[in-house]
Amino acid sequence: MNEPYPTSPSSLALAALPSVLLQAAFFVVPLVMTGLLSFQETKSYLLVWTWSFKTWGDVFSNFYYWSIIFNTLIMSGITVFLCLLIGFPVAYGLATRFPTAQNNIKILLIFAFLTDSVLKIFGWALFLDKSGVANFLLTTVDLPTLPGWAIFSRASTLLGMVYSLLPFTIFTIFLSIEMLDKTLLRAAYDCGASKWRAFWEVTLPLCKHGMFAGALLVFVLSLGTFLESKILGGGKTPMVAELIRQTFETRVNWPLGSALTLVTIFITVVMILLFSKISDLRANEATK
Amino acid sequence: MADMICEISEVTKFYGGYQALHGINLTVREGEFIAIVGPSGSGKSTLLQIISGFEKFDGGSLKIDGKDMNGVSPAHRPTSMVFQKLALFPHKTVAENIGFPLKLKGLPKAEISKRTSEIMELMELKPEYLNRYPRQLSGGEQQRVALARSMIQHPKLLLLDEPLSALDVKLKKVLQAELKRLHRSIGLTFIHVTHDLEEAMMLADNVCVMQSGRLLQVGAPNDIYHRPANRFVAEFIGDTNLIPVQISAISEDGMAEYVSTEDKSLKGRVKLPKDSERYFVGMTTDLMVRPEFLQFKTVDAALGPQMAVRITETFMRGSTIQVKAMAKKAHEDLILTIELSGYTGPEFEIDTNHVLEWSDDHAFLLPKSERRAT
Repeated sequence: MNEPYPTSPSSLALAALPSVLLQAAFFVVPLVMTGLLSFQETKSYLLVWTWSFKTWGDVFSNFYYWSIIFNTLIMSGITVFLCLLIGFPVAYGLATRFPTAQNNIKILLIFAFLTDSVLKIFGWALFLDKSGVANFLLTTVDLPTLPGWAIFSRASTLLGMVYSLLPFTIFTIFLSIEMLDKTLLRAAYDCGASKWRAFWEVTLPLCKHGMFAGALLVFVLSLGTFLESKILGGGKTPMVAELIRQTFETRVNWPLGSALTLVTIFITVVMILLFSKISDLRANEATK
Repeated sequence: MADMICEISEVTKFYGGYQALHGINLTVREGEFIAIVGPSGSGKSTLLQIISGFEKFDGGSLKIDGKDMNGVSPAHRPTSMVFQKLALFPHKTVAENIGFPLKLKGLPKAEISKRTSEIMELMELKPEYLNRYPRQLSGGEQQRVALARSMIQHPKLLLLDEPLSALDVKLKKVLQAELKRLHRSIGLTFIHVTHDLEEAMMLADNVCVMQSGRLLQVGAPNDIYHRPANRFVAEFIGDTNLIPVQISAISEDGMAEYVSTEDKSLKGRVKLPKDSERYFVGMTTDLMVRPEFLQFKTVDAALGPQMAVRITETFMRGSTIQVKAMAKKAHEDLILTIELSGYTGPEFEIDTNHVLEWSDDHAFLLPKSERRAT
């Protein structure tokens, strides 16, 4: 019998070795080094190799860092919410209403998705700027110009984040709707359900998987965004990724940067675990 | 006609330029078990979808319980469908699945759970299944849940869209027996679509045979088996021997004399069915003799027409054996089924010569003369 994968413990270990080495070299080692760095200090922009908790003391006593982390979490949460809110109807429409145009729409979405994010974000900045494309068009047709908060604000940062991450929810939800067995809907109609009721009782609960997956992806990725807040937000809503970048590059404070990185990773992991715990509960309910 | 629960008249259906149904006429009496059989593409599923309301029809009319169903949505028809893949909601428990139609009607929770328990008892589903999910049940139990979900709605018509086709043979037999028991005990009207002829014959009071969008024959299983409307039905419903003949005379008492078109010495006299106006002297048609009525000639007095044959093949079928033989004069393949227990006839081996005979009491002249289509 030719097994598609090794089953005995020794051959399994051997087969897993490359992956283990790769993970160790490029994930565990850098993480450990980051951890070690956070216990060092700097003097006049130079790393001093000592062992102290000074950096960690800074991190936990400085409210500013935590306000940025908190702000990032809030922004990410809103982004997830907006991505689901916009992504679901788009995915639903794509899966059920446009059978012929579906592939073309998907190609366009992927096209936008794969375009470099710097280009996209600068594109938005050019569009929304006070003397940008949008205002030019609006004044040409005698409409009032965009309000002041259309750029360099929290709102424009969110716009950028949602724009960048929306495809993740659209595609995950689209897949879950498309994989849905359509006879289940027929069965619901046959039981006397209206279209809306069938959607509420059958389609929506069976799409939870896709929604959770999309939400998780968007959340994790939005914790790491910085371009949007820097370019579209004008730096008014600092995000933790930008804070870390600045700490490393501008302030050249590697221990502090490392500590902030670890805090962010820790929060992210906790959030992921929490998320998957909730979605697992739902998943068990749905598939048992 | 008060007891006609479903009246289908001249229903046609087109898919683009393709005509899927050609003027179907069918009436179903209340409490009847109807099976619609036919090969794939015969339109049997389309007809069921039209009755359930999932498909619209292009011509004719459909009445259920005396009401015209044109434009009535599946949700508002007094029908309930058991789907081929059952379509149980995977995210709902057994109780939620069965109670779903009642929940949609807005019945109070206590009432729903009471009626759910009742129907589960009727379907012999254990009470501890209430809070399980469909995936945790066996195929047969899932089947019963699907039936329960349909029956809790008290439909006038229960539509079954090949729900047994995906099951293994053993379980299928069990569930067929259960369907029959259920039908007898609750007196509901069943319309069962299947490609499995044996299943249709076994379960139904009336079998409808469909081919290429046409309803060829409706009748009791026995009628369809012994008096098929044409060659297709004769060959679709079990093994058969068809001998090309010409009618040479029709007598006043409804007897027809025939002569084989290939072997003039082969003649006989059979009784015509009641609608004998379809037969005429000089008509060429097929004489049908089912394999179990063909036998080896014995020394006793002749039973009826006889044919000299050479045995070409034998197939063991458990309690019976099927013998394939080639007629010497007509180049016609014949098959006969021999009941092994108590068999006293001659030895039969491949490549031996024999004479076959049959009684004209068991022969039937097909009312349509068309030759083999394939």
